[in-house]
Amino acid sequence: MIGFLHPAWLWALPAAALPLILHLVARRQPPTVPFPAVRYLQQVTRDHQRRLKLQHWLLLLARTLFVLAVVLAAAAPTMARDGLAGHAPAALVLVLDNSPSSGAVTGGTPVLDRLRVAARGVLDKATTEDAVWLVTADGVARRAPIDRLRAAVDSLSPSEIRLDLGGALGQARDLLVDAGRPSEIIVLSDLQATALTAAEVTVPVLVGVPDVVPPPNLGVATLDPGPQPWSPGKNRVRVQLLGDSGRSSPLTVQVGARPGRPQLGSVGAAIETTLDAPTPGWWLVTAELDPDEFRADDRRRTLVRVLPVARAQWDPADHYLDAAAATLRDGDRLRDGSEVALGWLGPGPSVVTPPSDLAALGSLNRALERRGVPWRFGGPVVQEQMSDSGPLLGATRVTRRFRLVFAGGAPRGIEATVGGEPWIVRAGSVVLIGSRFDPAWTGLPTSAGFVPLVDALANRLVRGEQALLTGTPGRPVRLPDAVEQVLDGPRAWRVEGGASWRAPASGVYFLRSGPDTVGAIAVNLDPRESELTMATLAQVRSLWPGSRLVPLPRIREAAFGAGARGHLRGSLLLLALLLGLAEVALASLRRRGA
Amino acid sequence: MTTTHGSARLDLLDPFEVSQLGGLEVVTEGLVEGFLAGLHRSPRRGFSVEFAEHRMYQPGDELRYIDWKLLGRKDRLYVKQFEEETNLRAMVVLDSSRSMAWSGAPGHRLSKLDYARRLSAALALVLLRQRDATGLVVFADAVRAVLPPKVSRAHWLRIVATLARVTPGHLTAAAPALNGVVEKLRRRGLVVFVSDLLLDQAPTLHALKFLRHRGHAVLVLHVLDPAELELEGPAEVRYEDPETAAAVVLRPRDWADVYRQTVSGVVSGWRQALRREGIRYHAIRTDLPFGRALRDALVRPGGIA
Repeated sequence: MIGFLHPAWLWALPAAALPLILHLVARRQPPTVPFPAVRYLQQVTRDHQRRLKLQHWLLLLARTLFVLAVVLAAAAPTMARDGLAGHAPAALVLVLDNSPSSGAVTGGTPVLDRLRVAARGVLDKATTEDAVWLVTADGVARRAPIDRLRAAVDSLSPSEIRLDLGGALGQARDLLVDAGRPSEIIVLSDLQATALTAAEVTVPVLVGVPDVVPPPNLGVATLDPGPQPWSPGKNRVRVQLLGDSGRSSPLTVQVGARPGRPQLGSVGAAIETTLDAPTPGWWLVTAELDPDEFRADDRRRTLVRVLPVARAQWDPADHYLDAAAATLRDGDRLRDGSEVALGWLGPGPSVVTPPSDLAALGSLNRALERRGVPWRFGGPVVQEQMSDSGPLLGATRVTRRFRLVFAGGAPRGIEATVGGEPWIVRAGSVVLIGSRFDPAWTGLPTSAGFVPLVDALANRLVRGEQALLTGTPGRPVRLPDAVEQVLDGPRAWRVEGGASWRAPASGVYFLRSGPDTVGAIAVNLDPRESELTMATLAQVRSLWPGSRLVPLPRIREAAFGAGARGHLRGSLLLLALLLGLAEVALASLRRRGA
Repeated sequence: MTTTHGSARLDLLDPFEVSQLGGLEVVTEGLVEGFLAGLHRSPRRGFSVEFAEHRMYQPGDELRYIDWKLLGRKDRLYVKQFEEETNLRAMVVLDSSRSMAWSGAPGHRLSKLDYARRLSAALALVLLRQRDATGLVVFADAVRAVLPPKVSRAHWLRIVATLARVTPGHLTAAAPALNGVVEKLRRRGLVVFVSDLLLDQAPTLHALKFLRHRGHAVLVLHVLDPAELELEGPAEVRYEDPETAAAVVLRPRDWADVYRQTVSGVVSGWRQALRREGIRYHAIRTDLPFGRALRDALVRPGGIA
């Protein structure tokens, strides 16, 4: 198979038509000259026309081939010569896919072991003059002596980080841009269909195609514990299974160490189950399937925070708030008490709305200052606007509001905005709302989202909301603003609130802000890893045009094909030279021998 | 008009320059004067004379005219009396086809017809000065003018006038014209065929051979423009025959060498074919001074024509 080191030059191939085009353009009507001795010319041309026509076409052919040869030489074609004992010093990137799916067992052998054998074969063929990089699922390109790379391959285990094969090819291509020697990328992977993405291939790519079929698999794709925090009593959990196995498998969902009741799960509809909330605190919730050939996705974990429902007090004269609180109380989501003040600034957690008496605004701001709350009520805004949709609530009409002004530094704790300006903000256990719960101020009290909002305000926001984030190993997760530390048992990472953080492995991580635990991240495998189905060869060729596919056991023979490739540039240049000489000879012959 | 143009002889000047000096008659006389002056011997020497009768020898008669054979037979002195006469009857046959009207360098070089017209006039004058009866046939696609051979000043003027009136015809049909000459030259004579020979060779050769067979001396003057000998021109040219409108498109540079060889072959072919029949042949370029052309045409070892 022929490949090109500089395929961009192939765009110049149409230039080969130039001699023909020039020939056709030059065939314009020549000037007519009276000449009585035309009979002599007729005699001359009659005698030589056939030979001249042949010379003419040979000349055209020589010129066309000359241009073709030069353009092809510029594209630097190479031709694979498999089975050669040695190869020229080459640059090679070995993409070894040790993503989670490589841990699947087929025929009693993990996929990674098969890939490892192939990788060793490639490295055994490498020489000290070769430049070899090893790229694995962690995305790090390691360039090291062959022995160290061999050791790295031997010590490799299935990673929890998913590998985007198209991205890995792009990375490999970038590594080889300035290699200055025959380059090649070798991909050793289970060729999981979901991991294959398109890549622009500009260097020869050799893909090892596994010779075994991946096992049927069933994995836990999602585990959703529902709204947080959990309240005592029954709480609903939703589980979704994913995979390419049509069979069902027993699924157990449990909270903490309490044994769950197994139920049969299969790919398709979500599985819902209810769990009794344990005592207040953080609890681990686990969904687990019976083991199969791919163990890594058989279990999924998350965290839930169990809190008792808030004990709140509110002004019964505030009709809309009173109605919403009564509804929550009836649904056992709120109890009477003095823990939370709804509508004014109390001594504890408070949801503060602007006072009905504007004269009291100054004293309210001073009280906020005394509580250490950095937010103040500013000037009034009377303008009908819509609030900006966000996780807390959707778009809502806002007619009147007070600006909420952050005193000092960059504003933090903004929960909802109107026209880009803060409308609902939180600082510790105090939540400020820019409008009163009055239809004359906002359409919120009459909207369907009002009761859930009051629930969220009373049970979550003012009590220190617990962020429950999800992520996958190696992928960035954006942390909440207040987070200063991420904890995993004894391990701790100092982080900056609002920044991204990558979990090194699956598990549950607590988010700390000072001494408080403000949330958690549940890190599990990327659910796409559960689909082990291998991409078809046509898909591979389509996504990586020009790639060369060989069975995995034969990858060693085919490796370093770029170095063992016959470079055709020299031959083409020689051919171009010969064609050029032929052109000169033919043109001269035609001129002299016509 | 003098014999020479200034100090130079007209017969040696460039034909085009000579043609600018005056009318056909005047220029031709100048040419012939120069030509004959350059021969350094009497044009009459070599005139053939024909025996008329014997008469008794009278004192004073030149001894060389005594017929010694008759003296031996009759033992009396007789002298041979010769009658000087126009022994030679010549016919100039001029091709006036359209191809003859062509010049490779108009304004700088005479067309083949103009050259041939002057050359024919000069030939006629030389022959008439030798008291040879000279006639003229002008042809193109048909015979266009015929002047029977005569010897007189007035005839010379008629020849000149006829030549001056000649306009280019269309095609070339030499054979009928040559065949017509046979009727005009009942006695053996000289036929001068002036043409660019861009005609069908076979019938023309056949007609010339027939003339030769009838005992006539035949002289073929092949008039060639220098531009017909060397192919030149722009990168690519469409050459069109003014007679037949046949055309050939080619690149002169590519074909120059082989064309030169072909024309050379054609000239050689005519020369050999004519020589085999005892016909004299001369290729004359239109830039050749008339004196040299006349010399080529007329001067043979031992005399003119």
